Amino acid sequence: MSQLAAFIKQQRQKKPILSMTHVVYGYPTVQESLDWMERLMKEGVDFIEVQFPFSDPVADGPSIVAACHKALEQTLDVETCLTQLGELAKGFPESRIVLMSYLNPMYRYGLDKLAKRAAEENILGLILPDLPIEQAATYQATCEKYQVDPIWLVTPVTPKDRLAMLASQASGFLYCVARSGVTGHSVHETKMHEGKSKTTSLDDYLAEIKVHSSAPIGVGFGLRERAQIEQLIGKADLAILGSALLDAYNKGGQEEGIKLIKDLFY
Amino acid sequence: MKSENGFYGQYGGSYIPEILYSSQQQILHAFEEAKNDPAFLTELNKQWQQFSGRPTPLTFCENLTNHFGGAQIYLKREDLNHSGAHKMNNVIGQGLLVKRMGKKRVIAETGAGQHGIATALVAARLGLECTIYMGAKDIERQYPNVFWMKQLGATVVPVTTGAQTLRDALDEALRDWSSSHEDSHYLIGTSCGCAPFPEMVAFFQSVIGEEVREQSVAQFGQFPDRLYACVGGGSNACGLFLPFLDEKNVEMVGVEAGGKGLELGEHSIRLSHNLGQPGIAQGFSTMFLQDQAGQLQETHSIAAGLDYVGVSPIIAHLAEIGRIKMTYAMDDEVINACTLLLKKEGIIPALESSHALAGAFKDAPNLPKESRIVINLSGRGDKDIFNVAKAVQDETFPQFLTDYLASYPVKVPSTKEQKETDA
Repeated sequence: MSQLAAFIKQQRQKKPILSMTHVVYGYPTVQESLDWMERLMKEGVDFIEVQFPFSDPVADGPSIVAACHKALEQTLDVETCLTQLGELAKGFPESRIVLMSYLNPMYRYGLDKLAKRAAEENILGLILPDLPIEQAATYQATCEKYQVDPIWLVTPVTPKDRLAMLASQASGFLYCVARSGVTGHSVHETKMHEGKSKTTSLDDYLAEIKVHSSAPIGVGFGLRERAQIEQLIGKADLAILGSALLDAYNKGGQEEGIKLIKDLFY
Repeated sequence: MKSENGFYGQYGGSYIPEILYSSQQQILHAFEEAKNDPAFLTELNKQWQQFSGRPTPLTFCENLTNHFGGAQIYLKREDLNHSGAHKMNNVIGQGLLVKRMGKKRVIAETGAGQHGIATALVAARLGLECTIYMGAKDIERQYPNVFWMKQLGATVVPVTTGAQTLRDALDEALRDWSSSHEDSHYLIGTSCGCAPFPEMVAFFQSVIGEEVREQSVAQFGQFPDRLYACVGGGSNACGLFLPFLDEKNVEMVGVEAGGKGLELGEHSIRLSHNLGQPGIAQGFSTMFLQDQAGQLQETHSIAAGLDYVGVSPIIAHLAEIGRIKMTYAMDDEVINACTLLLKKEGIIPALESSHALAGAFKDAPNLPKESRIVINLSGRGDKDIFNVAKAVQDETFPQFLTDYLASYPVKVPSTKEQKETDA
């Protein structure tokens, strides 16, 4: 079993659902983002999903896009980021950090070097939402070599045979997108004609995944309320909190963010 | 040009968020079926002819030819399409595909606004709902186009993230599509994006080159010796070049925007002089203008339709293997080429197309008198009236604007209010 999956299973003995909180590296400054990550781990979150910013984050909604662009007003460097995250993680053996970014900055850094350095810094999962599994054979082999998990995403509109394929290849955990669209509150209304939607309900598709995979399940996109998290108990292992946490942080800094986490998880 | 599983050499492919997988597959299959369906092709040709006025002429430029004293110069008149640019060829094609797929709404990105207008025209004709994403800075530069899009019934959404230009508009269109894929088609305007968009847009634009094949033989008994096209996203270049790919004696020259200079941020040269680097973004792999860390960079051109950060994977591949020669033209050379065409031939070219003119005019005096070159005049220049007036420092224009504003009946909304109205 992967180290990441083993950690999740071990933590799940103690808690009904684990928390994964998202932080944009470098937002609003590198130091403030590192302070925020440290605070989150002190408060006992199980995972931090650190997003290394990219200029064109097409899977993200307005909150995260704005944070990434703000962060990129500084020059950010993948190598420095990995070193800093590794240093930070050492102080918190009860939490784990996974790294999320888009393909281009990681491709420029080198996917082989990324997997190697991530493993050295005990960052055991990598999320690249614009790398489809069909183009990822080399990347998968590299991750396997360094014992880092490539995290794949599935969605409510993923066809059943593809869902089965992705679920069977899942390692670490499978990232289940809860709904269509980008992260957070979307400015784009969902335009659907009634009765025509091919979207499967979240419960149905989480059940479908379990048929094909024993990997832990993380659910994200649009989680904002305690009731949503409670509904996931027994069906998922991780609840991923991204834009809602960023919105809280923007509104009232660390305290507002921590308040949201306590409202949702404790 | 047929791709290998969506790839052209190392470029192309499909690098999109998982949420778009099904919609991308749907387009892939719908396009594959449509392009082999005689009924679809008949309807396409009918619409091209009856709505857009195809075929467009191949015009011999006697005065320009004598002026340079070298190659015989011909223009492929894509400026005579309905909407005034080659954009119409693609939009008609994809519009018919949208009807075939049974979708009700189209989303498009636009830079200069030409593709936005073309999309809005076809959406109106086909009864489709239409949302256009356009960078807030481009809206400022090209407001007349925005005006027409709105009059045509489209919703124009100003994009205020990032550099607020075409690249950001494309990101935002992709985000919309992620939410709306079940009922909406992303009607991309150039031969970029995830597979099968590059191949599909190139297919619809290839009518340009197909006509030039027939017209050149009819007018001077052989194929042209050289072809010139400007390269922004690359769709008009694909359209002219691809039908000649197998004709080894036909040379092809792509002209990028040199802008104000060769420093990063001052130009849009992706394919020559090692200014662009391979990257993967906005759904596909190509040469992008980016920094060492892989962050995409800002671009510049006097022609808003050319300042895209990436380029068609088809053009990137053909440039890499040496089939297309890439060059560039600077903003001031472009204005000179535009002015020369006006004076010598009585044709008003778009500033985008004037890049192709500038590239060709540099070579023409040095080419043999019996050689023939075809320049793709991809669009007409009426839309550039403000920018050209400023560039040639027309003395009367500011007074005209002042007088016009003084007599304008209602309060002109500020840019800020405009955003609120559109949002």
